[in-house]
Amino acid sequence: MGSWFSAQKVAGYGVAAIAAVLVLYPVYFLLQAAFDVGDPQIRPPTAYGLDNFSSLLQYPQIMLNTLMVSLAATVMALMFGSLMAWILTRTNVPGRRLFEQLMAVPYYLTPLLGALAWSLLGQPESGFINGIWRAFGGEGHLIDINTPYGIAWVMALFEGSVAFVMIAALMKSMDPSLEEASQVIGASRIRTIMQITLPLVTPGILGAAIFVFAEMLGSFAVALVLGLPTRYYVITTAIYQMIQQYPPKIQVAAAMGASLFAVMWAMLYAYRRVVISGSYVTITGKAFRPRLLDVGRLRYVLLSICLLYLFVAVILPLGTLFFASLQKIAVVFPTAENFTLDNFRTAMAMNAVRSALSNSLLLAFGTATIGIVLMGLLAWLIYRSRLPGSGLIEYIVMFPQAVPRLVFAFGLMWAWVVFPIPIYATLWLLLIAYLTVFLPLGVRTIAGVILQIDKSLEECAQMCGASWAFRARTVTIPLLRPGLVAAWLLLFIASVRELGASILLMGPHSKVITPSIVESWFGTSSELTAALALIQTLVVALAIIVLVVVTRRVGALSVD
Amino acid sequence: MPASPQGSPPSLSTPRPHIEVEGLELYYGSVPAVRGVNFNVMPGEQLTLLGPSGCGKTTTLRAVAGLEQPTAGEIRIDGLPVFSSARKINVRAEKRGLSMVFQSYAIWPHMTVFDNVAYGLQVRKVGGPEIKDKVDRALEMVQMREFGGRRASQLSGGQQQRVALARAFVFQPSVLLFDEPLSNLDAKLRADMRIELRDLQHRLGITSLYVTHDLEEALAMSDRIVVMRDGLVEQTGTPDEIYSLPHSEFVADFIGSANLIRGHHRPDLDCDGLTALETATGQLIYGMAYGRKAGPEMTVSVRTVHLRISQERPAGERNVWPVKIEKTVFQGDFSQIHLYWGDQRLVARCAAMEPIAAGRDVYMAVEPRRVVLLSPGNR
Repeated sequence: MGSWFSAQKVAGYGVAAIAAVLVLYPVYFLLQAAFDVGDPQIRPPTAYGLDNFSSLLQYPQIMLNTLMVSLAATVMALMFGSLMAWILTRTNVPGRRLFEQLMAVPYYLTPLLGALAWSLLGQPESGFINGIWRAFGGEGHLIDINTPYGIAWVMALFEGSVAFVMIAALMKSMDPSLEEASQVIGASRIRTIMQITLPLVTPGILGAAIFVFAEMLGSFAVALVLGLPTRYYVITTAIYQMIQQYPPKIQVAAAMGASLFAVMWAMLYAYRRVVISGSYVTITGKAFRPRLLDVGRLRYVLLSICLLYLFVAVILPLGTLFFASLQKIAVVFPTAENFTLDNFRTAMAMNAVRSALSNSLLLAFGTATIGIVLMGLLAWLIYRSRLPGSGLIEYIVMFPQAVPRLVFAFGLMWAWVVFPIPIYATLWLLLIAYLTVFLPLGVRTIAGVILQIDKSLEECAQMCGASWAFRARTVTIPLLRPGLVAAWLLLFIASVRELGASILLMGPHSKVITPSIVESWFGTSSELTAALALIQTLVVALAIIVLVVVTRRVGALSVD
Repeated sequence: MPASPQGSPPSLSTPRPHIEVEGLELYYGSVPAVRGVNFNVMPGEQLTLLGPSGCGKTTTLRAVAGLEQPTAGEIRIDGLPVFSSARKINVRAEKRGLSMVFQSYAIWPHMTVFDNVAYGLQVRKVGGPEIKDKVDRALEMVQMREFGGRRASQLSGGQQQRVALARAFVFQPSVLLFDEPLSNLDAKLRADMRIELRDLQHRLGITSLYVTHDLEEALAMSDRIVVMRDGLVEQTGTPDEIYSLPHSEFVADFIGSANLIRGHHRPDLDCDGLTALETATGQLIYGMAYGRKAGPEMTVSVRTVHLRISQERPAGERNVWPVKIEKTVFQGDFSQIHLYWGDQRLVARCAAMEPIAAGRDVYMAVEPRRVVLLSPGNR
């Protein structure tokens, strides 16, 4: 006779409790610091109040900078995103399939790499583009990347891919018969676009705008690389600066982080509201075969727009870094003796780099392996078990989405400094941080796979008399395996590229690669940094190739 | 007759029900899906839960299977409770010894047809040669023997359906549950599979609980039908009882097409065991109560096929009226005739005949035994 309470439930709530601790413990310490108005040297706090928040008013410039950069980046990202989405999903431009896959490449290149490359290209004095400009007789500089618009440009190129993904999904999921119905009634093409297409996609684009804006508010790497030289701070870089300076302004930084997190949370809440209320666009998950517009000769113009986008977001940055990494002093017109392989030799020989790279790989391996178990169980718990409270668990697990990783890491740092187990400034803390900040990524990826698999496949095994363990071994895990492997690789890649959390949490003996690249940029030469960034990119690229091969296999085994 | 001092002993003539469902309730949060359902399935019987979507039939089936946890009630299999809210018993689905055919077939895509069917035997640790023997025989029964090595993605819908069936009965479960197993097939294949399923169920002699929203399927396949609505049982009976003697307006309307006629009772005109009903416009119709109580206000149900239309006035006094044709719709095997009966519109279904022009005056007749009194208060 079975029992009313199963071991399954106990295990489920156990995993949920771990996730809750991972997420809520650092948030608690972040808030504690934000409201701590006592002596900053004494913990736990001696007095609480709102002074830290009111002192934020002393930094109006930072708020203004943040708003301006985020707004500009959002507008640019939406423009690029909707233009590319329209071209690639609704017109008969040649090579659509290929371009659509290539659209993800800037994102995989990372905003940091984009910022480094565009810094080499667009600095007013030494930038390659300005060098060419002057060589052709121009005066001063053509572009200046160390400005708000330069920062926004790089953010839009390398962090705005999500706008394309969202808008393209929107356009793909729109039933073409909605437009056809309008045309059959006799409306012109323009009228159909104005009165049918646009109103249908508006809520979706508005949702994408809110989502992208929230992401831009929390963006860190680009503003750090391009803003720091001219002391142009946005909120994330300001928080970083306040923690790193001596004496650190922990309490104000905490208040700033808490405010940013509150704003982002509100934005994501608004995003969900917009998406839910504006759901008359049929986002059913059913993919329609969109009707392609025959654009005639215009298709070659559109093709060149696509090529131009890939040029500025992929080819030019990678080429620039490669070009710079092969020189002793990076210039746009180098002489023959300026070329060297020393940067790569130095990079591979430096102890710090080697240990950082191997630390990163080790951490990525650990994060992906532990993460896949933890997040797999959580995804199963949230989307399959129907245990009471699974909605709340989902909420907690998706929580880190609304918190910039830098702010989260700050909370973690503050939490673990006082923790009795000495893991502060070790790789263990980084592991905990990665497992926490990647919870939404991992759970969402695995959930996508779980939801694809018809629930009755598991239930049928149960009806055949199979126990929980037997079912998992013979049905659930074999069906999930390709998806789990893909999720493992995603977590691996995300860990190797992680910057925001790592830069605060790594210790002198637990360096990891991405923050080391930033350190190298500000501490050593840009040529050596270029070599480092390329080495990291190569590692990520290898992982992505494996990922693509694996997902191909998933596609081949797709379940109808 | 001498009264038995111990009361009646456990009856030997009627066997104990195989499945007993008592006071079953199931709430999703505060939303009721099943609101107190009772029924029994006898050994070897095929019982069908029939109703429109959202009536709780699938939820009830899944509760019997153990895939949903009811809020209240008791479910017994072979007399043993597998769920009881009062006794806090909830046997897990895999321990209930049942088997199930799913609406989506649920053929595991990563296994061959053979492995799919063999699964239940492997779970039961049956030896290799015996597995092969039983799987082959099961596949033989569903005419899929030569497909053993194929993968699910290489099968058509009908073939997947057969594999799902073989997989469900290969390990000789005591009960088979069917969750709308034919709803994903096209109409022709569905009609064939219906007969095949019925034959197979008879050959195996297995107790079956079947869920469908398809009336024809239920009438053709079931020993008994439980009609459900809004999480409650509306009527239980043999297909003939359900069809001929609907209990309520809902059943009359849902089970095939019926004309519902409302009016008040004229006890003064009752005669020969017939009940007289007078409509608001003074039309008089005689029907039979079938043991149901006639209130002052009452409703009778007349199947569209039981209304007879003729050009000449038929013999007999009762239940013969002149009517006016509104229109005739040709539907192949039969014609649907819309007509005015006084100022009430009725529908009659006649075997295909010469179309009668709209506006013609003809006669309509119905046998009083076909005019069924519905239970009061059951709308």
